Amino acid sequence: MSSVHDKDAFDLELEAALANPAWQDHPLHALLQQLQQRYAERTTILERLTRIADQYQLAERERGLSFAQRYERQLRQLEKIVRISDQYQHMLRDLNNELQRTASHDLLTGLFNRRYLFDRLSDELAKAVRGQGGFALAMGDVDFFKQINDSCGHDVGDAALCHVARMIEAPLREYDLCGRWGGEEFLLLFPAGDLESAQQAIQRIRQQLLDQPFIHDGQICPLTLSFGCTTYQHGESITAILKRVDEALYRAKHAGRDCIELA
Amino acid sequence: MQDLSISATAAAPAITTDWSAGLVRLQGDSYPENAFELFQPLLDWIGAFLASESRPLQLELRLLYLNTSSVRIMMDALDQLEAAHRRGFPVTVRWYYDARNERVAELAEEFREDCTFPFDIIAE
Repeated sequence: MSSVHDKDAFDLELEAALANPAWQDHPLHALLQQLQQRYAERTTILERLTRIADQYQLAERERGLSFAQRYERQLRQLEKIVRISDQYQHMLRDLNNELQRTASHDLLTGLFNRRYLFDRLSDELAKAVRGQGGFALAMGDVDFFKQINDSCGHDVGDAALCHVARMIEAPLREYDLCGRWGGEEFLLLFPAGDLESAQQAIQRIRQQLLDQPFIHDGQICPLTLSFGCTTYQHGESITAILKRVDEALYRAKHAGRDCIELA
Repeated sequence: MQDLSISATAAAPAITTDWSAGLVRLQGDSYPENAFELFQPLLDWIGAFLASESRPLQLELRLLYLNTSSVRIMMDALDQLEAAHRRGFPVTVRWYYDARNERVAELAEEFREDCTFPFDIIAE
């Protein structure tokens, strides 16, 4: 293998001196010539070693780069998995919220449904049993609702129920509860409430219905409700209090409707 | 290669393959306890098809919920298809979703992001 190193000024001067006929017979000429040869050989080896070492260095660098690239790719993949997984979690959370809403709300009116009201009633009863205050309960029923359904159709009946629902929930305090108990029956729960406060709330609802009547086909359709209202009595069951409020409602109907009966 | 016909369970999708038609179908929710064990035969089937056939391969997906392991496996399967596509192999994905659930379409789009082969997201 030939040397590829560039000759410098010293190399050229040495070559010229060795080639000079005037120095051919000098006793050191032969030794110097051998020295020059060895020097050239060593230089060649050194250059070769350097080239090989450089190649190793380059290969290592490329290997490092490919590790870095693989790492980058795996990192991107991991980020994508996490992102997609998070989205699936959001989807499940939204679905869960929707299911909870469906399970606790009435589809037509958007008020709480019977199941939710029953649970809350149980909670209030448990609190009352522990001596943590009583509660008042009222049941309201839309008067002559069957006539609306029969004469105007079920879609108008549904619209009337939605209107009643809005009128019932609007005047309630934040911690009072109302919901659709079934058909045209609405239940009102007044935690820590007594007969007087419940009665006041019901009066506000009746007034609200007078102020904002249900309108169908441009015509005012007067809607009224009959109410039964009672308070928790120590030691009684849910069935007992519901029976009492139902009986009060029945009396209100019997008394001519559009009124409140207390029990 | 034997075709797969794995029935859906509450936590795992139905997996069916049709070698002669070049078709893979996945349908349902996917949150199995051991997703890698469940899906390995499918990844093997796809690998074998891509290695021995040059006919088109189509994935028909009707997937709703995927847990993290299933997401990882789907990405591996799509990577297999992408590599095949880059070698000139005709692969397609058709991801069907319920039109009432746009969230699934958004997720399918996330999966599609790095795919250069035909990948349709279709409302049903």
